[in-house]
Amino acid sequence: MTLSVGSPVAGRVVSLTEVPDPVFAQAMVGPGIAVEPDRVAADVVSPVDGTIVTLHPHAFVVATEGGAGVLVHLGIDTVKRKGEGFTLHVVKGETVRAGQAIVSWDPAEVEAAGFSPICPVVALDAPADSLGDLSEGATVAVGDQLFSWQR
Amino acid sequence: MADEKAEKILAALGGASNIIDIEPCITRLRCELEDGSVVDEKALKALGAHGVMRQGNVVQVIVGPEADTIASDIEDLL
Repeated sequence: MTLSVGSPVAGRVVSLTEVPDPVFAQAMVGPGIAVEPDRVAADVVSPVDGTIVTLHPHAFVVATEGGAGVLVHLGIDTVKRKGEGFTLHVVKGETVRAGQAIVSWDPAEVEAAGFSPICPVVALDAPADSLGDLSEGATVAVGDQLFSWQR
Repeated sequence: MADEKAEKILAALGGASNIIDIEPCITRLRCELEDGSVVDEKALKALGAHGVMRQGNVVQVIVGPEADTIASDIEDLL
Protein backbone atom coordinates (compact mmCIF):
# COMPACT_ATOMS: atom_id res chain seq x y z
CA MET A 1 0.00 0.00 0.00
CA THR A 2 0.99 3.60 -0.45
CA LEU A 3 0.99 6.01 2.43
CA SER A 4 0.57 9.69 1.66
CA VAL A 5 2.64 11.85 3.99
CA GLY A 6 1.31 15.39 4.35
CA SER A 7 3.18 18.52 5.28
CA PRO A 8 3.09 19.37 8.99
CA VAL A 9 3.82 23.01 8.18
CA ALA A 10 3.37 25.53 5.36
CA GLY A 11 6.50 26.53 3.51
CA ARG A 12 8.98 25.62 0.81
CA VAL A 13 10.01 22.01 0.32
CA VAL A 14 13.73 21.31 0.08
CA SER A 15 15.97 18.26 -0.02
CA LEU A 16 16.89 16.61 3.25
CA THR A 17 20.52 17.20 2.29
CA GLU A 18 19.95 20.93 2.90
CA VAL A 19 19.29 20.35 6.59
CA PRO A 20 22.23 21.64 8.66
CA ASP A 21 22.51 18.46 10.71
CA PRO A 22 24.34 15.33 9.53
CA VAL A 23 21.84 12.93 11.10
CA PHE A 24 19.10 14.25 8.84
CA ALA A 25 21.23 15.33 5.88
CA GLN A 26 22.78 11.86 5.63
CA ALA A 27 19.40 10.18 6.21
CA MET A 28 20.83 8.22 9.15
CA VAL A 29 17.40 7.54 10.61
CA GLY A 30 15.61 7.31 7.28
CA PRO A 31 14.88 9.11 4.02
CA GLY A 32 12.53 12.04 3.76
CA ILE A 33 12.31 15.68 2.89
CA ALA A 34 12.45 19.02 4.69
CA VAL A 35 10.23 22.07 4.75
CA GLU A 36 11.60 25.58 5.17
CA PRO A 37 8.58 26.91 7.11
CA ASP A 38 6.84 30.22 6.55
CA ARG A 39 7.99 32.55 9.32
CA VAL A 40 4.63 32.94 11.00
CA ALA A 41 3.22 31.45 14.20
CA ALA A 42 1.27 28.34 13.28
CA ASP A 43 -0.10 24.97 14.28
CA VAL A 44 2.04 21.99 13.26
CA VAL A 45 -0.18 19.09 12.16
CA SER A 46 0.17 15.34 11.97
CA PRO A 47 1.43 14.15 8.56
CA VAL A 48 -0.54 10.86 8.76
CA ASP A 49 -3.29 9.07 10.69
CA GLY A 50 -1.74 7.21 13.60
CA THR A 51 -0.58 7.24 17.21
CA ILE A 52 1.83 9.67 18.83
CA VAL A 53 4.58 7.29 19.92
CA THR A 54 7.23 9.87 20.79
CA LEU A 55 6.54 13.41 21.84
CA HIS A 56 8.84 16.28 22.68
CA PRO A 57 7.96 19.96 22.47
CA HIS A 58 10.22 20.33 19.41
CA ALA A 59 9.68 16.96 17.70
CA PHE A 60 7.32 14.02 17.48
CA VAL A 61 6.85 10.64 15.83
CA VAL A 62 3.48 9.39 14.54
CA ALA A 63 3.20 5.66 13.86
CA THR A 64 0.49 4.43 11.53
CA GLU A 65 -1.60 1.35 12.23
CA GLY A 66 0.68 -0.49 9.79
CA GLY A 67 3.75 0.46 11.83
CA ALA A 68 5.15 3.20 9.60
CA GLY A 69 6.84 5.85 11.73
CA VAL A 70 6.98 9.44 10.52
CA LEU A 71 9.27 11.81 12.38
CA VAL A 72 8.66 15.57 12.37
CA HIS A 73 11.45 17.70 13.80
CA LEU A 74 10.80 21.42 14.32
CA GLY A 75 14.06 23.21 13.71
CA ILE A 76 17.61 22.07 14.34
CA ASP A 77 19.11 21.80 17.84
CA THR A 78 15.80 23.12 19.14
CA VAL A 79 15.99 20.60 22.01
CA LYS A 80 18.08 23.38 23.57
CA ARG A 81 14.98 25.59 23.71
CA LYS A 82 13.74 23.19 26.41
CA GLY A 83 10.18 23.58 25.22
CA GLU A 84 10.17 27.37 25.22
CA GLY A 85 7.90 28.66 22.46
CA PHE A 86 6.28 25.27 21.82
CA THR A 87 2.72 24.53 22.98
CA LEU A 88 1.64 20.89 22.80
CA HIS A 89 -1.95 19.96 21.95
CA VAL A 90 -1.72 16.17 22.36
CA VAL A 91 -0.22 13.65 24.76
CA LYS A 92 2.01 10.66 24.09
CA GLY A 93 -0.07 7.63 23.06
CA GLU A 94 -2.92 9.71 21.67
CA THR A 95 -4.57 8.66 18.42
CA VAL A 96 -4.43 11.46 15.86
CA ARG A 97 -5.72 12.12 12.35
CA ALA A 98 -3.67 13.54 9.49
CA GLY A 99 -4.07 17.31 9.69
CA GLN A 100 -4.73 17.39 13.44
CA ALA A 101 -2.84 20.10 15.36
CA ILE A 102 0.00 18.59 17.41
CA VAL A 103 1.95 21.62 18.58
CA SER A 104 1.99 25.38 18.06
CA TRP A 105 5.18 27.30 17.46
CA ASP A 106 6.64 30.37 15.79
CA PRO A 107 9.45 29.67 13.29
CA ALA A 108 10.38 33.37 13.29
CA GLU A 109 10.96 33.24 17.05
CA VAL A 110 13.07 30.07 16.70
CA GLU A 111 15.14 31.77 14.02
CA ALA A 112 15.53 34.93 16.10
CA ALA A 113 16.86 32.76 18.93
CA GLY A 114 19.65 31.58 16.62
CA PHE A 115 18.28 28.22 15.44
CA SER A 116 17.40 27.01 11.98
CA PRO A 117 13.62 26.45 11.95
CA ILE A 118 13.81 23.98 9.05
CA CYS A 119 11.53 20.95 9.52
CA PRO A 120 12.81 17.52 8.48
CA VAL A 121 10.01 15.00 7.85
CA VAL A 122 11.50 11.51 7.91
CA ALA A 123 10.16 8.06 7.02
CA LEU A 124 11.83 6.18 9.87
CA ASP A 125 13.91 3.18 8.81
CA ALA A 126 12.41 3.20 5.31
CA PRO A 127 14.46 2.01 2.32
CA ALA A 128 15.37 5.14 0.30
CA ASP A 129 13.69 3.81 -2.84
CA SER A 130 10.34 3.36 -1.07
CA LEU A 131 9.63 7.08 -1.22
CA GLY A 132 8.09 8.63 -4.31
CA ASP A 133 6.42 11.80 -5.57
CA LEU A 134 8.87 13.93 -3.58
CA SER A 135 7.61 17.49 -3.75
CA GLU A 136 11.05 19.09 -3.61
CA GLY A 137 11.04 22.73 -4.73
CA ALA A 138 7.29 23.09 -4.24
CA THR A 139 5.54 25.55 -1.99
CA VAL A 140 3.14 23.68 0.25
CA ALA A 141 0.23 24.51 2.50
CA VAL A 142 -0.36 22.58 5.71
CA GLY A 143 -1.54 19.06 4.81
CA ASP A 144 -0.35 19.08 1.17
CA GLN A 145 1.40 15.84 0.24
CA LEU A 146 5.19 15.89 0.75
CA PHE A 147 5.86 12.38 -0.53
CA SER A 148 4.31 8.96 -0.90
CA TRP A 149 5.69 5.97 0.96
CA GLN A 150 5.40 2.57 -0.69
CA ARG A 151 4.98 -0.11 1.98
CA MET B 1 16.54 -7.21 27.19
CA ALA B 2 16.24 -3.45 26.93
CA ASP B 3 18.21 -3.03 30.11
CA GLU B 4 20.92 -5.24 28.73
CA LYS B 5 21.18 -3.04 25.66
CA ALA B 6 21.39 0.05 27.86
CA GLU B 7 24.11 -1.64 29.89
CA LYS B 8 26.13 -2.41 26.77
CA ILE B 9 25.71 1.09 25.40
CA LEU B 10 26.81 2.48 28.74
CA ALA B 11 29.90 0.26 28.67
CA ALA B 12 30.72 1.41 25.12
CA LEU B 13 30.50 5.01 26.33
CA GLY B 14 33.18 4.30 28.91
CA GLY B 15 30.99 3.30 31.85
CA ALA B 16 28.94 5.27 34.36
CA SER B 17 31.95 7.15 35.69
CA ASN B 18 32.56 8.63 32.25
CA ILE B 19 29.05 10.09 31.93
CA ILE B 20 28.46 13.70 32.84
CA ASP B 21 25.06 13.95 31.16
CA ILE B 22 22.88 11.98 28.76
CA GLU B 23 19.99 13.63 27.01
CA PRO B 24 17.70 11.89 24.52
CA CYS B 25 16.52 13.81 21.49
CA ILE B 26 14.06 11.74 19.45
CA THR B 27 16.65 9.84 17.42
CA ARG B 28 19.87 10.31 19.31
CA LEU B 29 21.56 10.27 22.67
CA ARG B 30 23.53 13.41 23.35
CA CYS B 31 26.22 12.34 25.74
CA GLU B 32 28.46 14.72 27.60
CA LEU B 33 31.42 12.66 28.70
CA GLU B 34 34.47 13.12 30.91
CA ASP B 35 36.59 11.65 28.13
CA GLY B 36 35.15 11.35 24.62
CA SER B 37 38.16 9.47 23.28
CA VAL B 38 37.30 6.19 25.06
CA VAL B 39 33.99 5.71 23.21
CA ASP B 40 33.84 2.37 21.43
CA GLU B 41 32.21 3.31 18.13
CA LYS B 42 32.36 -0.22 16.77
CA ALA B 43 30.53 -1.61 19.78
CA LEU B 44 27.86 1.08 19.52
CA LYS B 45 27.28 0.27 15.86
CA ALA B 46 27.11 -3.43 16.69
CA LEU B 47 24.38 -2.51 19.19
CA GLY B 48 22.34 -0.96 16.39
CA ALA B 49 23.54 2.65 16.34
CA HIS B 50 23.09 4.25 12.91
CA GLY B 51 26.02 6.51 13.51
CA VAL B 52 28.24 8.18 16.08
CA MET B 53 29.20 11.84 15.92
CA ARG B 54 31.96 13.20 18.09
CA GLN B 55 32.71 16.77 18.98
CA GLY B 56 35.37 16.51 21.64
CA ASN B 57 33.73 15.21 24.79
CA VAL B 58 30.23 15.56 23.41
CA VAL B 59 29.31 12.37 21.59
CA GLN B 60 26.01 11.85 19.82
CA VAL B 61 24.89 8.29 19.30
CA ILE B 62 22.21 7.94 16.63
CA VAL B 63 20.02 5.13 17.89
CA GLY B 64 16.74 5.86 16.12
CA PRO B 65 13.37 6.55 17.72
CA GLU B 66 14.03 4.37 20.78
CA ALA B 67 16.41 7.07 22.06
CA ASP B 68 14.02 8.13 24.83
CA THR B 69 13.65 4.60 26.18
CA ILE B 70 17.35 3.83 25.97
CA ALA B 71 18.26 7.09 27.70
CA SER B 72 15.91 6.40 30.59
CA ASP B 73 17.21 2.82 30.85
CA ILE B 74 20.75 4.21 31.04
CA GLU B 75 19.69 6.81 33.61
CA ASP B 76 18.44 3.93 35.75
CA LEU B 77 21.91 2.41 35.65
CA LEU B 78 23.73 5.57 36.73
